Parts: sequence; C-alpha cells; structure tokens
Amino acid sequence: MDPVVPPFVPVLLAAVLLPVVGRRAGHAFGVLATAAVVPYVWLVPEGAYFPVQLFGFDAYLFYVDAFSQMMGLAMGIIGAAGTLYSYASEADAYQTAFALGYVGTSLGAVFGGDWLTLIFFWELMAVTSTLLVWHHGGLAVRAGFRYALAHGISGTLLLAAIVWHFVETGTFLFAGVPGGPATAGMAGSVAPLLAVLGIGVNGGFVGLHAWIPDTYPRPHFAASVFLSVFTTKTAVYGMFRAFPDGHLAVAYMGGAMAVFGATMALLQNDMRRLLSYHIQSQAGYMVAGVGLSGTLATAGAFGHVFNNFLYKSLLFMCVGVVIYRTGEESLKKVGGLARKMPVTALAFFVAAFSIAGFPGFNGFVSKGMVIGAAHYKHLDVLWYVLLAGGVGTALSFIKLGYHAFLHGEYDGEVRDANWGQGAAMLSVAALCVLFGYPAAMYAVIPGGAELDFVVFTVGHLQEGFGLVGLGLVGFAVLKKPLKKVGRVPDVDRAYNPLTFYATRYVVVGVTELYAAVDRVVVRAADATAAVVTAPGAAAGRLVGEDGVSLRADTSASILLVVVAVAVALVLVL
Amino acid sequence: MSDLVALAVAVPIFGSLAALVAGLVRSESGWPVAVVACVAQVAIAARLAATAFGDGTITYVVGGFEAPYGIELLVDGLAATMLGLIAVVSLGVLAYARRAGPRSNPFYAVYLLLVAGLTGMSVTADLFNMYVFLEITGLAAYALVASGDRGRSAVAALKYLLVGTVGASLFLLGVGYAYIDTGTLNMADLATKLGDADPTLVHAAFAFIVVGLFIKVAVFPLHTWQPDAYAGAPDSVAALVSALVSTVAAYALLRVVYTVFGVGFLANNELAHAILVGGATVSIVAGSLLAVSQSEVKRMLAYSSVSQFGLVVAAIAIGNVTALMGAVVHLVGHAIMKGGLFLTAGLVATETGARRVEEFDGLVRRSPVGAGAFGVLAVAMVGVPPTVGFAGKWYIAVGAAESGSWALLAVIVGSTLLTLAYFARLVERMFFREPSDDLEPAIEAVADGGEAPGASLGMRATVVAAAVAAVALGLAVFGYSQHLQPTIEVLLS
Repeated sequence: MDPVVPPFVPVLLAAVLLPVVGRRAGHAFGVLATAAVVPYVWLVPEGAYFPVQLFGFDAYLFYVDAFSQMMGLAMGIIGAAGTLYSYASEADAYQTAFALGYVGTSLGAVFGGDWLTLIFFWELMAVTSTLLVWHHGGLAVRAGFRYALAHGISGTLLLAAIVWHFVETGTFLFAGVPGGPATAGMAGSVAPLLAVLGIGVNGGFVGLHAWIPDTYPRPHFAASVFLSVFTTKTAVYGMFRAFPDGHLAVAYMGGAMAVFGATMALLQNDMRRLLSYHIQSQAGYMVAGVGLSGTLATAGAFGHVFNNFLYKSLLFMCVGVVIYRTGEESLKKVGGLARKMPVTALAFFVAAFSIAGFPGFNGFVSKGMVIGAAHYKHLDVLWYVLLAGGVGTALSFIKLGYHAFLHGEYDGEVRDANWGQGAAMLSVAALCVLFGYPAAMYAVIPGGAELDFVVFTVGHLQEGFGLVGLGLVGFAVLKKPLKKVGRVPDVDRAYNPLTFYATRYVVVGVTELYAAVDRVVVRAADATAAVVTAPGAAAGRLVGEDGVSLRADTSASILLVVVAVAVALVLVL
Repeated sequence: MSDLVALAVAVPIFGSLAALVAGLVRSESGWPVAVVACVAQVAIAARLAATAFGDGTITYVVGGFEAPYGIELLVDGLAATMLGLIAVVSLGVLAYARRAGPRSNPFYAVYLLLVAGLTGMSVTADLFNMYVFLEITGLAAYALVASGDRGRSAVAALKYLLVGTVGASLFLLGVGYAYIDTGTLNMADLATKLGDADPTLVHAAFAFIVVGLFIKVAVFPLHTWQPDAYAGAPDSVAALVSALVSTVAAYALLRVVYTVFGVGFLANNELAHAILVGGATVSIVAGSLLAVSQSEVKRMLAYSSVSQFGLVVAAIAIGNVTALMGAVVHLVGHAIMKGGLFLTAGLVATETGARRVEEFDGLVRRSPVGAGAFGVLAVAMVGVPPTVGFAGKWYIAVGAAESGSWALLAVIVGSTLLTLAYFARLVERMFFREPSDDLEPAIEAVADGGEAPGASLGMRATVVAAAVAAVALGLAVFGYSQHLQPTIEVLLS
C-alpha cells in the first residue's frame, strides 16, 4: 500500500483527542490508532516519503527500511497493549494522553529519514516522557526533574553531534535516503564522540544509566510499561544509525552494561527497580550487537530490541498488576501470589523465561544471535561477559519469580488481573512464545531472510539450559545472603549530591557576583549623583576645601567671553 | 501695504511712550495700554505673515533712501514667523502679568520697548540697524530683569548688563570689520561684496559677530549671565525674556550666517564651521548636565535653555533645508514651551510656594493645573510625539542624518535622554510622590510693593494655553513647514 500519513500522526491525534472525548472512547481510539500502525508500516514498501523542509533543511518524515519498519511494528504492538493495559489499570485520561504522545514522538523519531527529524522527535520524547513521569506527582516529581536533566544533556550532546555531522557532510539526510551522503553514520572525528555520549545517556551506558532505576519505579505502574521500552530502544536504534559499522568499544560497553545491570538487578528488592536494572542489562546485549556489527550481530541486536519490547513491557505489566492488587512495591512484602493470581503468574513466567533466554522463548533466539556473533568473531572476553550477564539475568528472575509468586504466603484477599490487563498481558505473552520460533523472528528482523544462523543446535541449547541451570544453582546458594542486602547505592548516590552542590555553588557564585557588580554600580551611581547634585562640594573635595563656588561671577564671565573671542579668532584667522 | 512693516516697529514704541505718559495721569494704567499695543501688534503680525507666506517677501525702505544706502526692512517667511511669535508671546505674558505683576507704568513702557527691539531685529535687513535693535532689546531686557524688587534681581541685571553689553560690542566690532572693506551695511549687498573682500577682515567679522551673538543666545560657556537673570527676574519677565530674547538672537545668528556670509563661506572655512558645531555640542551636553545638578526649578529651566539653544545652533551648523526648518520650528516650540514652563513655575510658586525641586513632591494634589501643565510642557520639551518639541528635534535629527553628521546626530539624539534626565525627576516628584510637608504659599512681593493675591484665572488660562499650544503646534508643523520651505531655499541659495 502507499503511505498516507507519517505513522506518528494518528497516534499524536489520539493523544490530543484522548482528554477531550472521554476516557473510554479515548482509550479505544488510542488502541486503534497504535494498533493500526502495525499493519500500516508492515505494508508500506521501503523508501523515503513525505519530504518536507524542517527549519529550512531537507527532511523526510516517513523513512521505511527494515530497521525502522521493525521498530514501528514493536512500537505499534506495545503502544496498543500498553493503552489497553492503562485503561484497565485506571490510568486517567491525561496520563494515557502523555503516554500516547510519547509513543507518537518515538514513532516520529524512528521513522525520520534524517538526523534533524530524529533529534526533533528525540527532544519531544524527552518532554512527553517527563510529563508522563510528572503527572503522577509525589516522589515522581523530583525524579522527573533528574530525568529531564539527563535527557536534556543527552539531547544537547546529540544535537551538537548532528550539527558537527552537518558541517562535515552538508546534509542531515541518512545515507539510504535520496540525496543523502555516500556513507552512513556520523561523519568526522568529533561528531561520533558526541553522538556516542548523547545516545549513551538514553541507552543506559554504565555510569550514565542512573536515571533509569531512579525514574522508572516512581510513576504510575501503567506509565512504567511505556517508559520501560520506548526511550532505551529508540536509543539503540539511534546508535545503529550513528554507527552502522559498529565499534569494538561500543561492543564492550554493551557487555559491561549486561553484567552490571544484571548484577545490580540481583541486589534489588523493589520490583520495578529490579526490572529497571534489567532494562540496562538487556540494552547491553543490543548495544553489544550494534557494536559488533555484521549481519548476524545487527540482526541479533534488532531482534533483541523487538523481543525486549515484548517481554520487558510484559514484565512491567505483571509487576504492575501485583502493585495494583497488593499496593506493595517491595519483594519482601509479597509472596506466594501464583495461587491467587494464576493469569498474572503465567504471563510473568513467560516473560521471565523469555528474558532469561530459555529455549522456546523469543529471548533465546535473539540473545543467542548476539552471543553467537561474539563467539564467531573470537571475542572471547565479550562472549564470557555476555554469558555471565545471562546467568545474572536468570538468577535475578528466579529471585523475582520465587519471592513474588512461589515462596511463602500473602495474607489477605488478592484478586487476579482484571480482563483488560489479562488480555493485554496474555496477547503479549503469546507473541513472546510465537517469536520463540526462529522463522517468525526472522520474518521481522532486518536481514532475517538471508541469515544462515541455526537457532536450535546442541551447543545453543546447552547454552540456553546451562544459563538457567546455573541461575538456579546460583540462586540456591545466594538466596540467604541476598535477603540481607539492603539498598545498594548506585553512581547517582555520588553525582546527585555533586550536581546539587555544584549547582548551588554556581547559583551562590552568580548571585554574589551580581551583588558585587550591583554594589559597584550603586556606588558609582551614588558618587555621580553626589557630584551632579552638589558639584561645588565635589570640586571642593578635589582641592581640599569645604566647597568651591562654581558659579561664574561677572569678572569670570567677561574672562570667558575674552577667551572665547580669542579662540574663535585663532580658529578662523 | 508695506508701511505695515514700519508700523510693526513703530506701534510698540508709541505704546511704550503712551504707557509712560499714562502713568503721569493715573498710576497702574500701563497694563491696558500694553494690551492695546500688543493686540495691534498681533493684528499687524498676522497681516504681514499672511502676505509674506501668500505673496512672498515684503520689503520697505525707510525714509525713501534707496538700499543699499538707506535702511531696508524685510519680511520673509522667517521674519514673519518671528514677528508672530513675538506678538503672541508678549500678549500671552500680559494676560499672566495682570495679576502677577509687576504693575508700574515704567515696567510696561520697558516691556513694549523690548517688543519693539525684538520686532526690529526680526525685520531689519541692515546689519548696523540690527545692532541698534540688539542694543534696544538688551537694555530693555536688563531693565526688566532689574524690575524684581530683591537685591538678587539687581545683581543679576548688572551681570546681564555687563556681559550682554560686551556681547553687543563684539557684534558691533564684527560689523565694523565687515564694513571696512565693503563700505556697505545692507545684508544683501554685503553678501555680494564680502566675496571679494579681504579674507582676514571677513574672518574677523565672522568671529566677532558669532561670539557676540553666542553671548546673546547663551551658548555654553558664554551663558553665565542667563541663569542668574532668569532666576532673579520676576516670573512674567523670566517667561518673556526666556521665550523671546535668546530666540531672536538665535534668529539673528541664522540670518547673519546665511544671509550675510552665506553657505559658501561655511563650506570654505572648516574652522568657522567648527566654531558653530563645537559651540552647539558643548552647549547641549553641558547645559543638560548643569540642569540636572540644579535644585532651583527656575535655574534648571534656565540651563535647559542653554542645552536647547545648543540644538538650534547645531541645526544652523548643519545648514540644509531640513535642519534649518528644524531650527525655526524648535525656536518657536522652545519659546512656547520654555515661556510656558516659567509661567507655570510662577503659578506653582504663587499657589504653593514651591520653587525648589524637592518642594515639587506630590504637587499634583496642591496645584493640579500647575502640575498638569508643567507635566505636559516637560514631556513636550523632552520631545515626545506629537508635541512641537518632537517636531523640532525630529527635523534637526533628520537634517543631521541627511548631511552625514553622525557625531552631531548622536549628540542630538542623546540630548533627548539628557532632557529626560532633568524633567523626569520633576515629573516623578509631581505625580508619584507624597507631598512632604505643607509649604505656605510664598507671597512674592511685586515691584510696586503691593500684596500679590493668589493665582488668577488669567494666569491659569495662559499656562493651560501654553500647554495646549505645545501639543497643537506639533500637529500644525507639517503644514507650516511647506509654507516655510521657499524662504529657507532662498536663504540657502
């Protein structure tokens, strides 16, 4: 089919209409608008559509290639499921409107055919997601400020990179777009450096990641479903656009993220905070795939992006239902919910098996591709690191599942997910299983058709079962010590106060400087006023007397006249 | 018809004599005589102006001695403007002086003599004759300043007399130098003969005449007589002198520079031009700064005049059609505004006793008419559209831009800010502050020693009329400038 409008248009329209038309109709429209994106982007042939002039530069609002198409599919599915889930979870109309605005701007970012469109929507994503966080109020407000600050820095760095890139190449367009440059990716020497930092903030690079676990546990649990997938995955997509040929350093950073995120997750008791660290860990696999580059690694990275959209949002939905029904955020306060919440438990275990990379679920396929790519390139360190991250993932989900759903008893009446939440969760869970079949996966991911990667080999299966097995063993060993772990500090423990005090000193410094300048100016003004209002006294101070009469008496007047005549005569003669 | 020109000079002289004689019959009978003379003067000026603007320049040869030997009188658009201004202002001040005084017959005799001198300066086309009228004007002005009964008036008048006489003498010296080589005193005749004269004599004549007139105009630093004279004189005298005497002196400067010496002289003598530019610039800046530093309102107004006449001299120095148009408009506008401001200051002093800047706090409650008129006139003086103050400055600034005198343009535009500096603080005090303490209305004893009662309707009406005129004239400037343009083009040819 031919493209009709850029995909973000109906979604943003739904976002604008939602608060107006009423909660029920608005959510229905939101589900339809986002769901419609799925067949729409699937059926539109590859190419760049809707050329426009954005701020006076050439830009394309709808660029379809295998990568953006896959992103669009995932965003459409999760947008629809998330909107349905929000409706069922009593999210108010404004919250879902902000969420749909966030979905729409994310669609705008991934379907932009140029850096300008991308950064434009990138910044709007930061705005809409901040509003989504803020809307919840309470603790979310301060976290929202820190979130906005992080994304402001990210956007600024990326913008600087894009401007630098423009200076090098003379265009904002991507390489695949008509009129675009010959080579893809960020050009020059400085632009890539700025881009990797800017995108790295959004992607959750180790050290730049603290905003993820800081922010995502705090807003409404339905809001977390959206937040958990759109920003970080769009960042991975942006990373690929900036570095289509990869970079080894980026690959190693991915490995570090995988291990660091999984380890930190293991130490958490707040359910959503635990999941938030897994966002970083999972993004690590994707970043590693992008960094490794090559057909298999890139396909693995994007496959993992796609799968992550499914299971990560599903995990947040399941935890959301637990929070919704019990009002508890901490693992220590819940337990044995599987018997009371079978639907939720089912969905959770599907998602957990997916994220842990258990054979038969979608995570197994894509994670296996990334790990396999590292193996084939003989990057043994990276390979072991990624495997270790897999063990940590398995371990932490066993912990989460065990404490929330299996171990112990929960006192009190608990109902299962309501029909809307159940429908959303089960459909996404079904997709997790469906894409566990390599053929289905390969149909969606970029370059999937040409892949000769066999998923179900003995080695891979050993790997998959082995990771989960090691996880089980590890959990058995670590169960006791893990219980005693309190809140583990992250890097933000250091830089939050640092930023706070630095800002404070800057503000105090500026204020003091202003005051100093002000004092000087006021003194100068006072002195001027004194001279002007009493020139005689001022002149007197100069000569050391009480005051001098500056009024010319008659003789002085005549003297002045004589001098004036003399001057005039000298001048003209 | 052209006898009217002679009558314009003769009527005030006869009026002056009549006022003196009437005083022998009945004391305090000078005012009606002066009113009759001034009304007649307004009628004559109106008739002459209508003819001058309608049919062109009027010339009259006194006593039948043909020019260049006899004395020629000439009324072009410029002179007609001055005639009208002198007649209207002197009549307006009379309306104020009815109650405010002074009231003696000699005062009104001298008053009319001043009008005669000013009128003569405006209409004469003879350089020596101009000196004669300059002296008449000067002597009358000294006497008027001295009509205040305080010692301060007498001292101010003496200073004015000494400095002013030196100025007039310098003017006469200049005229003499011009006469030596050309043997003529008629302005038009001089203009043709000066070209072939000894340059040293011509230059000396220019220097003496310009410095002499600078004293009369009160250009910094030759202004020293002026603040004392204005502040020391009775309010009605201060208004009349500030509105007309320097104005006509500036007119004389314009006349002498362009009719006698001509555009070519300035173009060929950079340094002669520099004297005008320098005097203007220094006057604008120094006058404003000195005005800011004054604490007595009348002295502040006096220094304001130093600055405003700097603007006029600047326009004369620029010397293109637009700038000279601005000079004339600003001369008229300044006369109305400054005369009005002095009268308002007098009205305020009569009603509330406030004569110093700090006493103007919250004036609007105590003297609403005075504060209102003062505010309007101050705003007009700053040059806010559509007042006449704006029109004059606008023409001068445009003229400066046309001639490419960017430094002068900066000073002219800056002068608006400086003007704002000294008027804004008064406006702020009058309208936005609480009155500090009640001042007793200071009854200023007039020259005759009579107890001056409170403000009269005539005083208030004059003040309000000045404020209305300051705004209304601004609207009339465009039509007027079209009528004046031919005169200025002739002047510059």
